[in-house]
Amino acid sequence: MSNMLNVSSSPHLRSSHTTGREMYNVILSLLPATIFAVFHFGLYTLLVILCSIASCMATEFVFNMITHRKNSLTDCSAVVTGILLALVIPPSIPLYAPILGGVFAILVTKCFFGGLGQNFMNPALAGRAFLLISFGKVMTDYSYDTVSGATPLAQLANGETIDILDMFLGHAMGHIGVSICALLIGAVFLLASGTITWEIPVSCIAVFLVMMGLFGGQGFDPMFLAAHFCGGGLVLGAFFMATDPVTSPMTRTGQLIYGALIGGLAALFRFYSGMADGMSYAIIISNLIVPLLDKYIIPVPWGVGAKGQVYNPDEKKKGFTVPKSALILMVITAIAGAALAGVYAMTKTTIDANQEAKKLQAYAEVVPGGETFEYDENISAAIEGFGGAVYGDGAFGKAYINEVAVAKDASGNVVGYGISATSMDGYDGEISMAVGMDTDGKILGVSFTVLNETAGMGMLVNEESWRNQFQDKQVDSFVLLKQGGSTADNEIDSVSGASTTSGAVVNAVNAAIDFYKNYLAQ
Amino acid sequence: MNKNNVAIERIINGIATENPIFIMMLGMCPTLAVTTSVTNGIGMGLSTTAVLVVSNLVISLVRKIIPDDVRLPAYIVIVASFVTVTQLIMQAYFVALNDSLGVYIPLIVVNCIILGRAEAYASKNPPLASTFDGIGMGIGFTWGLFLLSAFRELFGAGTFAGIQVMPSIYKPIDILVKAPGAFLVLGFIVMAMNALSIKTRANEITEGCDNCPGCGMPGADPDCEGKEGKKA
Amino acid sequence: MNSLIMIIVSAAFINNVILSQFLGICSFLGVSNKIKTSASLGGAVIFVMTIASAVAYILYTFILAPLGLDYLQTIVFILVIAALVQIVEMFLKKTSPALYTALGIYLPLITTNCAVLGVALNNVTDGYDFIESVVSGFGTAVGYTIAIVLLAGIREQIADNDIPEPVKGAPLVLFCATLMGMAFFGFSSLG
Repeated sequence: MSNMLNVSSSPHLRSSHTTGREMYNVILSLLPATIFAVFHFGLYTLLVILCSIASCMATEFVFNMITHRKNSLTDCSAVVTGILLALVIPPSIPLYAPILGGVFAILVTKCFFGGLGQNFMNPALAGRAFLLISFGKVMTDYSYDTVSGATPLAQLANGETIDILDMFLGHAMGHIGVSICALLIGAVFLLASGTITWEIPVSCIAVFLVMMGLFGGQGFDPMFLAAHFCGGGLVLGAFFMATDPVTSPMTRTGQLIYGALIGGLAALFRFYSGMADGMSYAIIISNLIVPLLDKYIIPVPWGVGAKGQVYNPDEKKKGFTVPKSALILMVITAIAGAALAGVYAMTKTTIDANQEAKKLQAYAEVVPGGETFEYDENISAAIEGFGGAVYGDGAFGKAYINEVAVAKDASGNVVGYGISATSMDGYDGEISMAVGMDTDGKILGVSFTVLNETAGMGMLVNEESWRNQFQDKQVDSFVLLKQGGSTADNEIDSVSGASTTSGAVVNAVNAAIDFYKNYLAQ
Repeated sequence: MNKNNVAIERIINGIATENPIFIMMLGMCPTLAVTTSVTNGIGMGLSTTAVLVVSNLVISLVRKIIPDDVRLPAYIVIVASFVTVTQLIMQAYFVALNDSLGVYIPLIVVNCIILGRAEAYASKNPPLASTFDGIGMGIGFTWGLFLLSAFRELFGAGTFAGIQVMPSIYKPIDILVKAPGAFLVLGFIVMAMNALSIKTRANEITEGCDNCPGCGMPGADPDCEGKEGKKA
Repeated sequence: MNSLIMIIVSAAFINNVILSQFLGICSFLGVSNKIKTSASLGGAVIFVMTIASAVAYILYTFILAPLGLDYLQTIVFILVIAALVQIVEMFLKKTSPALYTALGIYLPLITTNCAVLGVALNNVTDGYDFIESVVSGFGTAVGYTIAIVLLAGIREQIADNDIPEPVKGAPLVLFCATLMGMAFFGFSSLG
């Protein structure tokens, strides 16, 4: 492989698109939006932009130096990446973000893959994804100077009316590249100068708008569509990111499919989960498919390129004497099975005792005043009457009430109940908990007995601060707020990024409350 | 080789020469999944070592009886049994450890290290040597897990074994404790080893031949000469 | 119907077996250097995983669980998979030699593929019923195939790139996986 001559091969044809000239055009086209941003957001934003550019350039320079490659800064592609990265991050973000983002974008996405023209993923967007996943909080904080609040898209989702002209001109909260008007000026320039072609932006935006109209919930209302057109980096992505010649398909058909896919995915993310960042993920997901699009859209005559491997099925297989081998395998299995049965029998009582102890511990934790926990015949009979089926016929998702322990104090008075509930709707399956309630139906606490969710995300429901949201509340049922911002007693903030887990817990607690109302409140 | 030499040789082999994570690139699945915190990493490593030692021993003892064409299912049954036993014992006597590691224990069954060593060593060598091979590989695996998880937890969460270590100025880089970060960190480590000219099997693994999962991996053709004419 | 679609989307994209659950990494790294190979392996995996999910569920629900033999599930599932692979191999050899030539060599790989066992075990812990188990197995295998084919496409394209020496080989594949994982992260918002 090291003797290969790098003479010509279709991937290399791409790099002719990205000469310095093209790069200058792109930089020019981004100037209106960049200049506007500095005037709108302030000098700190200029610092953010410069840090991003400097970080990209420095990374490329140092890498080339260490690996003894020709200095490639003159092709200005690092500058372009720096500007693009800056345009998609919040205006007042701490400086370590554009710096680290720039390093990741250039080093991992570009340099490691061979440098200019050889990356398969858009570097600026990869850098942005890196920042989104690593520093989620600062990446979603759009406040600057004394301005804070919600972005126009968030306001729209909450049902407020917004000023679309403001959005269009850029007098709104958002990323640095917030001025749609300035961006479109640049886009027109790019199209007119032939630096980009219409296929990708048009297919992307068209499919996006159609899907938002069909599934967005407001029909084809022009104001609604205009607002979504102006928000969430759609314009920036469609004209400046998706059109990157290095990471987009080579054929027109491929480009149309690629653009449509991006638009479709962006719309899906937008209306299904309200994620405004959907555009950048849509593009990098679509980047993954480009190699396949390029390979198969140009029809290749059958037989060309395939090496024609012939596998001779009789070649290496030894004689297969079914009876003997299978017999031995069965014997081994039987011995293994017997051994397991033995160990199981030996450990069963201890394991059961441990489970019981854990359960009691959970009950004691959630019903602080309880000294003893007993089982009431009637309650247990009622639960057995469910026959192991989902509680409430699925009104609470896949929730089950397992058992109820009656908590009594030292004098034998009933002080509360420990309800063992399970939800199978967790992200990673079963979530079981003990819900403590007092005799008035007030929740005293929630403690998990089985919780195997994702570390750092779903597992965070176990944090005391999160569980305390249920404490001392007396409500008919709880409601999960996926975006947070709870105000009322019955509202529970979801763990950020773990709405499935949070929702499962809320469902189980609601099932417990319902059970209390129907069977315990006498 | 007298007994002492074998033991020491096997242990050094497992920790350094043929370290399962860094040199052999086996057992990638748990390595990537479990190294989000030091406690998980070490716990997983020790549990795997326990299973590895016993399974190596048993497979070595029965190596002459198992027919070649059912060797893989047979190994898997044996390993799966020991994993289940480990699971039961942990549920009974090490409850706290089981709570934090419980999910990963069944994953030991599909840990390529165990099957790989069964295939590459235990099925061809006497019991004592196989036992020490298991110990050596296990220690090497645990050591590798420790290094990886220490790095990921320290820079990705700012903690070490759950204790806040980094000053509050330091902003944890969350991606390091998430899925993509695992690939990233491992990629950097292997790249560093390549740069330092430390020979690994990494490139043999990723350039596997069409009908073979790779040299030294479970299911590999034992008679294959390998890509460069070397024995697998 | 909705929840079934959700299961497939979740299994294939949100909780992708390779990029999120880290199962099947060995084959992901090793077999992904050609699109054709990857597609063939993926096809075989879809076949085996779907049927294995169904059979595993039946065995668990009607034999293991009622008899209180839960702890035997790992062993039983593995044997099911190994047997299935053997059956598929023999069946293919007899009925469609062409297909056998295309897929046959990958079948032994599937027995030791942790993804297949992993999904069977997960179906039990997730509490799926029969249809859900089959759909989940199918979705997982589709996700596996998508991941491995996408990676193969990328690897074929960058095969002639001017990769820096230390990055050549495994590190490059791992960085590809990093970027792929980051892209797939976008799907997690759908969950």
